[in-house]
Amino acid sequence: MRGPIRFVDLQQRFLDEKLEILSAVEKVCRAGHFVLTEEVEMLEKHLASYIGVKHVVGVNSGTDALMMALWAYGIGKGDEVITSPISFVATVGSICHVGARPVFVDVASNQNIDLNLIEDAITERTKAILPVHWGGRVANMPRIMEIARKRNLVVIEDAAQAMGAYYDGIHGGAFGHASCFSAHPLKNLSALGDSGFLCTDDDEIANKTRLYRSHGLESRDNCLFFGVNSRLDSLNAEVLKYRLTKLNDIVKKRRRNVELYREHLDTPYVFSPPEDSEEYHAYVMFIVQADDRDSLQTYLERQGIETYIYYGTPLHLQPASQQLGYHNGQFPVAELQCSKVLALPHHQYLSEKEIVFVCQAVNNFYST
Amino acid sequence: MKVPYNYLPMQFADVERIISEWRQLISTTEFTLGPYVERFERQFSEYLGVKHCISTNTGTDALILALKSVGIGNGDEVITVTNTFYATVGAIVATGATPVFIDSDDRFQIDVDKIVPAVTNRTKAVIPVHWAGASPDLNALSTICSEHNIYLIEDACMGIGASVSGKPAGTYSSVSGFSLHPLKSLHVMGDGGMTATNDDDLARWLRTYRNHGMVDRDHITMWGINNRLQPLQAVVASIELESIDKTIRKRHTNAKILDSGLSDLSDRIFLPERKQSNVENFSLYMGLFQDRDALRAYLEHFDIETKVHYPIPLHLQAAASNLPYTKGDFPNSEKQAEELLTLPVHQYLEEEHVQYMVKKIHDFYD
Repeated sequence: MRGPIRFVDLQQRFLDEKLEILSAVEKVCRAGHFVLTEEVEMLEKHLASYIGVKHVVGVNSGTDALMMALWAYGIGKGDEVITSPISFVATVGSICHVGARPVFVDVASNQNIDLNLIEDAITERTKAILPVHWGGRVANMPRIMEIARKRNLVVIEDAAQAMGAYYDGIHGGAFGHASCFSAHPLKNLSALGDSGFLCTDDDEIANKTRLYRSHGLESRDNCLFFGVNSRLDSLNAEVLKYRLTKLNDIVKKRRRNVELYREHLDTPYVFSPPEDSEEYHAYVMFIVQADDRDSLQTYLERQGIETYIYYGTPLHLQPASQQLGYHNGQFPVAELQCSKVLALPHHQYLSEKEIVFVCQAVNNFYST
Repeated sequence: MKVPYNYLPMQFADVERIISEWRQLISTTEFTLGPYVERFERQFSEYLGVKHCISTNTGTDALILALKSVGIGNGDEVITVTNTFYATVGAIVATGATPVFIDSDDRFQIDVDKIVPAVTNRTKAVIPVHWAGASPDLNALSTICSEHNIYLIEDACMGIGASVSGKPAGTYSSVSGFSLHPLKSLHVMGDGGMTATNDDDLARWLRTYRNHGMVDRDHITMWGINNRLQPLQAVVASIELESIDKTIRKRHTNAKILDSGLSDLSDRIFLPERKQSNVENFSLYMGLFQDRDALRAYLEHFDIETKVHYPIPLHLQAAASNLPYTKGDFPNSEKQAEELLTLPVHQYLEEEHVQYMVKKIHDFYD
């Protein structure tokens, strides 16, 4: 069996979808309208129906969607937002960006926020809970919504990686007061550049954010409030409309590959948190927790197997977090996980043979 | 004869070259910053003659990032004009700073004489706008700002190709913002923006902040945001940059025909003075036209498409209701708003189109 086994599927996707993608961008080009066009509107409608929400507002990125959701709920200086330290930096960046304070709560063994620790972190300054659906596993939203209801808090889901993921039959992002998605190139539903969208059932929040993303303009000459410019690009909207039709298939194939991993990985030194019965994990990434992680990564690299660490440093220990005042030892589960996590290649173009090859390499590493 | 304002369908009638470059881009999968974005940033800094060009998602963001890069935020005041696109003020508000308006002059540019009286101990910057692709008195502005120890941050969103005393718009500031939005002199197929600076530290901050604060994949030194130019658009920008001089020359030619063709109607039409020291890019060809609304309707009847930039000055918008301004505070821009009219002079109009406009305007007033 040969490597190399690539981590990312983008080049193969392009070869596969070349005709459809190029014809999608060409169509927008020739129409001669480029900003908040009907392509964006159509995509928003399709996404709303797919996810099961009333409103979808297309914006420039998942990060912007988070910032706008926080803004729309009036969250800012003096407010606290509860989240966990296992995520991409943007989760915390967006909270800091609106001037609020991120309050971290440790994660559970499945890398999502630990439900048992949320209530103890609530203070009279807490305004929202921002759970992350890490890697494509939806957090236990029914429980989180219950806590939020009891304590009168807003729930904004960081659903950046949740396209194609479900909890109890309901799509990620359809639980909270608002949810924020990313269609960055490395997600399951991916565009050819930065893209994101905000979902909500609340008419007022939807109207506010629609205006806010486009300078607060109700019409060309009427500015209701001073907004920003954060719009989903029409070229990308057309690409996403096409790619949405492929999403279910991609997730199914990725889940199949993860099943193969669970079948063939045979060492006590590698732990991959299983799915709860209510979870339908979309596997944007397949992350295992491995002893001697760094040596394993090097060993696999030598066999031509590409892996990535998501991420080596929990967010409370980033240099950027210094002013937040957190320190080593405060979130032991997250800290330990970061020293052990490794994402194995699992994308939809990998064959059973290739997955088995990776498993054998991993098993071999620990048996010698 | 049709004289359209929007020329995008003509500009992108032949998209083969763009599509073929996109094909290449997509096959490299460089969708996040990457070589296509870097290439355009390099080309643009050569074009401007500045050390650093850091691209952003939009012109609005370029202004926001420019303000943030010099630490402007809550509690600060930023002086600007009321006759500009909403984003100039939106950018100030987005940082948490307070916009302080002053009136514009007879060239529709910031009135430099009104700046000093508006300076307080909270003033941190002045944002002059290269409105319509013409320019304010940047030499005077530079002096005033340095004397009062406040930042000069040019809103050069409409200013690509404009210059004052031979120095390009956007190069007078510590840091400035540009827009690549459709219908600017240099534009892409959607949103796009650029910041420019000669300061190494500001450049480093901008590059990091727009990319989540990442110094590398695993380390962030600050909580940044996501504000990146789409690589697809960077491709378009590089291609369009090749013909920018030609574009502006054509706009000049058309503007000159209007200037001389309308010169005998000076009792009905006021055109801004064309300063010898300035090069305008004619992003907008604007003047004050008596009976503006009736003239618009008349021209529309003859398939001549015009616009108004803008009928309601910013201090009178609902958005500004929490700011301490009312009607009468800025008499020049308020008066101008009633009579402003923008005529098309873009590069897809030939002499016959422009002469047709001249004729129809004469017909209206006679």
